[in-house]
Amino acid sequence: MLLLAAIGSVAAAALVFAEPAVTVKEVSLRQTPASDAKTLATVPPGTRVNLVKREGAWVELQAGKNTGWTKFFDIRLPVATGGRSGGAQTPGLDAAALGKAAPNVQEFSLLLTFASSKQQAQAFAKAGKLDARKLERNQ
Amino acid sequence: MKPPFAPSKRYPFAVSALALIAVLLSAACGTPDANRPAAQPQVTAPAPSPPPAVVAEPPPPPPPEILRELTEAEEIEVGNAIAAGLLGASPLAKSQQQQKYLNNVGFWLALNSGRPELPWHFGIIESSTINAFATPGGNVFVTRGLIERTRSESELAGILAREIAHVVQRHYLNDFRKNAPKWLIADVVSLKSNGLASDSGRAIARVGLEGFARGLPREDVFEADKIGIAIAGRSGYEPYGLVAVLQTLNAIPPNDPAMALFNTTHPSPADRLATLEKDLPPWYEAFAKPNPALARYSAAFKPPKPL
Repeated sequence: MLLLAAIGSVAAAALVFAEPAVTVKEVSLRQTPASDAKTLATVPPGTRVNLVKREGAWVELQAGKNTGWTKFFDIRLPVATGGRSGGAQTPGLDAAALGKAAPNVQEFSLLLTFASSKQQAQAFAKAGKLDARKLERNQ
Repeated sequence: MKPPFAPSKRYPFAVSALALIAVLLSAACGTPDANRPAAQPQVTAPAPSPPPAVVAEPPPPPPPEILRELTEAEEIEVGNAIAAGLLGASPLAKSQQQQKYLNNVGFWLALNSGRPELPWHFGIIESSTINAFATPGGNVFVTRGLIERTRSESELAGILAREIAHVVQRHYLNDFRKNAPKWLIADVVSLKSNGLASDSGRAIARVGLEGFARGLPREDVFEADKIGIAIAGRSGYEPYGLVAVLQTLNAIPPNDPAMALFNTTHPSPADRLATLEKDLPPWYEAFAKPNPALARYSAAFKPPKPL
């Protein structure tokens, strides 16, 4: 039992998230996330698929027994029915609220206390392995 | 002093030349309504047929009286007044850990933007609505409702980077200058000594908040999306975090009350996705190596369950 649970948790960790999606054009499911990769299957627009994971501009989709990669722009997430915000709660920050707001100087002073700095931000970036880089068309 | 449009004997064409320059300038400055047609030069041209029931060409509109350009110091004071106004509508989230985390992500992005020297401040607004705001001078806000829809630091970075782009491109500053009455400049100049809660502060905040309630021209939103993605990419984030956020927003029912203000002040997520697909250079994909799943994001915010 423990072994099965362990295998289950390893399999789950491999998925970033699995959520339903819909193709919005004819999609070539490719073997790897590359435009010149081999096409494994073609899926018509309007097909319900499973979005297995995303790597940057590419997503891995599962359509029936086929799984492959296509562009993130080739799918959309279906509109949720009966959304999370359920009943009619007053949203608060609407046009009316903006219209009658008076400046809150105390709250603004509080905002300033949260400020980062060049030094802190650079350390934060380093800790997250974020390197500043030029975006240039190479090769 | 002679009125500027009065003809004179020496320069009989001064009127039409000046009028022409004025209308071309007003067209170049842009309008808040992207659908308004550009003013036509005052030369006779054959009307297209069949013509609508119009009797005569209306006179060209007078050049808009835009507030003069602000110094960076003035821009910062204006932005602070608008920020204080916004915080009057909805308070900050109280978690120091979350706010510091947001500021670290944001400041790092800003360091890799075109205006790293501004006094950048980032704040989570404790509102269940879905929205983000940026003031001139570098105050950026994200609502709790929007944060809860993100899944990762790169998605959060995508949101902050496009707000930073609004500031870098001076979109809200230009909106303020176009919509502030000319007499407001005296309030701008005196704001530092009068304080954010003074009549000057209130007057400036009023114009800024009206701008938030109205929304920017569509082109400004599309431009900030594109530049924001570049800022995120230059900061080492995989650049498609914003695309993921737009996909999520596109899936929210349009009548969800949390989206009410957002929907009336932005082009639809569907339009923004279509525009980005067209505008993003394909070679950006080379920079899309995914960021490692950062535990610090989950430590600060619990990501939403999959749909």
